[in-house]
Amino acid sequence: MIGLKGTLNCIDNSGALLVECVNVLKNKVNNGWGSVGDEIVVVVQKARPVSAAAQASVSAVKVRRGDVRRAVIVRTRKPVRRADGSYIRFDDNAAVLLNNKKEMLGTRIGGMVSADLRLKGWGKIVSLAPRTV
Amino acid sequence: MFSSACRAPARFVSTNAQSSAAKASSALYPFSKTALIPPPMPGTLTPALQKGKGLMQHLHQNLFTAEKQAMMKQLFSRKSPTQLRVGSIVSVISDQAPTVFNGVLIAIRRRGPDSSIRVRNILNRTGIEMQLFPNSPHLKEIKVVRPPPKGGMKRAKLFYLRDSPEKMSMLAGGGKK
Repeated sequence: MIGLKGTLNCIDNSGALLVECVNVLKNKVNNGWGSVGDEIVVVVQKARPVSAAAQASVSAVKVRRGDVRRAVIVRTRKPVRRADGSYIRFDDNAAVLLNNKKEMLGTRIGGMVSADLRLKGWGKIVSLAPRTV
Repeated sequence: MFSSACRAPARFVSTNAQSSAAKASSALYPFSKTALIPPPMPGTLTPALQKGKGLMQHLHQNLFTAEKQAMMKQLFSRKSPTQLRVGSIVSVISDQAPTVFNGVLIAIRRRGPDSSIRVRNILNRTGIEMQLFPNSPHLKEIKVVRPPPKGGMKRAKLFYLRDSPEKMSMLAGGGKK
């Protein structure tokens, strides 16, 4: 249940560490909730310092504090129901940054993701993740 | 019953189940291959039952398979010697992803056929908790890898383990996983 002001850990290597949700894209209203597999708009609250070499290079992804980006939720603390009736719940909220075309900004994912992502169409993220449950 | 819910996890269903279901559906309803036909319920349909007399008893005996009923009794009955105990390390084998889920049993919720267990584990530095329903046809087996320490825990629900990873690792590591 991620909504406005909800914070998530960013688990890819784009440079962001902590992001805050600003809007849940599947809802037409402002006061909706997002769950695993939903696309959200986030503001980067904490990011890894961008080194001088990365600043100079054109191809490196530069995500800085204060950037407004899109992301997909990959783990939630709120239990998510599976089709066989079981529920799964993680100890934190996590997201992976995306660009406007639903492609990942980073190249690697450092942490496990929920297997419900596959059903919602995020097969690329599931394949990159070291572990899915 | 399952109409919309069955579409999405179609990919999860094992290939054996899919082919047998396809054969059964074409035999019973030759006009569509994708028609969902629930398996016929066991037990005879008497006129009294059709009026609704003795319905709950009939359901109690026939709604779930005998193997599932025996499994539930063995896991959840308080008199059963093999009943699940909180604080034990269990391994849950299922048809869906995750096929094998190991972890500490932190809660048992007894509600007859709706009984469920909560299993907690820490993977890749994040804690995961799953609430599993053994009466589900997808859940194959619950194996007790290690019984709880000193015969039992002092609490019925071990939700305090969510806040103390040290106690979790003591439970998990006091022996071998």
